Amino acid sequence: MELTMIETLRKLNKGVALVVGFGLLACAGFVLTDIIMRQIGTSLGGTEEIAGYAMALATSWGMSYTLLELGHVRIDLLRSRAGAFKRALFDVFSMIVVSGVIITIAIKAWPVVERSLTNGSRANTPLETPLIWVQAPWFAGWIWFALMSTLTTLAALSLLLKRRHAETESFVGAFAEQDTLQ
Amino acid sequence: MITYVSVGLLGLLTLSIPVGIVLFLLGFGVDTFFSSFPLTRGLGNMVWSSSNSATLIAIPFFVLLGEILVRSGVATRTYAALDRWVSWLPGGLVHANVATATMFSATSGSSVATAATVATVAMPQAEKLGYDPKLFSGAIAAGGTLGIMIPPSINLIVYGFLTQSSIPQLFLAGLIPGIALAIAFMAVTALICTIRPDLGGTRRTFPFSLMLRALIDLVPILILFGLIVGSIYAGWATPTEAAAVGVAGALVIALAFGGVSLSMLTQSLTGTVKITSMIMLIVIGASFLNFTLASAGLGRELTEFMTGLGLTPLKTILVVVVLYIVLGFFIETLSLMVVTIPIIVPLVLAQGYDVIWFGILMIVLIEMALITPPVGLNLYVVQGARKSGSLNEVMLGALPYCLTMLAMAFALIAFPSIALFLPNALQ
Repeated sequence: MELTMIETLRKLNKGVALVVGFGLLACAGFVLTDIIMRQIGTSLGGTEEIAGYAMALATSWGMSYTLLELGHVRIDLLRSRAGAFKRALFDVFSMIVVSGVIITIAIKAWPVVERSLTNGSRANTPLETPLIWVQAPWFAGWIWFALMSTLTTLAALSLLLKRRHAETESFVGAFAEQDTLQ
Repeated sequence: MITYVSVGLLGLLTLSIPVGIVLFLLGFGVDTFFSSFPLTRGLGNMVWSSSNSATLIAIPFFVLLGEILVRSGVATRTYAALDRWVSWLPGGLVHANVATATMFSATSGSSVATAATVATVAMPQAEKLGYDPKLFSGAIAAGGTLGIMIPPSINLIVYGFLTQSSIPQLFLAGLIPGIALAIAFMAVTALICTIRPDLGGTRRTFPFSLMLRALIDLVPILILFGLIVGSIYAGWATPTEAAAVGVAGALVIALAFGGVSLSMLTQSLTGTVKITSMIMLIVIGASFLNFTLASAGLGRELTEFMTGLGLTPLKTILVVVVLYIVLGFFIETLSLMVVTIPIIVPLVLAQGYDVIWFGILMIVLIEMALITPPVGLNLYVVQGARKSGSLNEVMLGALPYCLTMLAMAFALIAFPSIALFLPNALQ
């Protein structure tokens, strides 16, 4: 059951990642158009601002995909020397910490959204974007990440308790390090 | 506080908690133990303001550019073309490894991407032509590290972002040291293969007409480099915007070579999202830790610490170099850079060093970290692309290049103008 759930989460987040990816591509197109227009003496205006928003959204919504694809860098100096059971302990412990931190971030992100909502804040820019338009989906991305990491942690924990620790490696392990770029 | 952060950092990292998360935890710790007012209240704002950044969107753009070039087969053509030009040298194809890595660095912002690309296209050739697997694979691992030095470089963007220094200047400063390192790598290869010809495989010469025809395959990469770097220094585009230009250019090149398909595009896009989020979790964590450290008075404590030690500026830098070499055995490039910036950079600047110059020195030291065991990502990438042999061979083969980098680090310390000449001349 746990593995089926992880499989579903992976598919969902792959979809999310594709949307984010095409969003970034569109943003690149937008920036390019602006550069060309500046050369002929006009401008779309506000590209910098929009690029910033795109980055904030891409970041908050892309995190879960990276998590499920084991993309967040871990140093597995000790972990790689341990046996399968101890490795699973390392992984589950690490996931509990991750979930805790991400939930904290999501909770602390709310006041930012709340302030924009109650004050009707607008960006201090030519576009005067109502900040809530961007901050609400940004906040939703962190909630999504908190949810995904909690579900992943629970799945791993449940497998560990059932003594099926060998199966956790595929979704909370660290072996994907080698194809992480950078 | 410095001791707390350093010990906490290493402790939590060895527990194999993700690097980005460790940085947040340390920030919470600084807040709890060293600050008189609650800093965690600013967490939401920090996360928002550090990710809402038009500068950082250059990261996904440069990653995407690299993904497109790798997945569309442009890399394979470049390698074949360079092979015709440099394989007459002692060491033959090993030079093609370094040269391809150098050219790819000029369009890609990432070292591992560069190493992975070259390894995939080069490895099958090594066995066929009888090269020493150690030197051959070591050269790929080392050549790949140039990706973060020669502009555009994702690491330099992150450095500029976190230290609030000029990214165009950092790019300019990285150019000469990057090219110098590439030349030094080739010189070292030639030297080794002159002394031990058996390591170098068959030297081959190609008819001049074939060499000329190969140039056509190099043109796209050169144009792309010109587009990206040119648009920045012509004043048409900021580094971020130039990255968008690069993405468009890469797509056009991939289209021209017939390497674009829907599956290639979706793979490139999801790959980009994965890497971008990985980098951003670390960057946001570092911004938060930076903020808590600064608010809790790290600056004052550092100054006291340094005065207490009574080191001269030169000795400080040497201590920093040793520190990076040691940490580089265990921690990976971007993580190593980002976790040390909040502590090391203020310390170095307080000694009167230039922030741009130190950025370049740091990159050289971090490049070394990529090919020093036990944690050297490029070594694993190259080993992953090989079908046989052990990781030890790659490590041994990378050693001469590692020493070359160390020499480069000392050259930068002795002659800062290697890095600073271009930015100063063009200011």
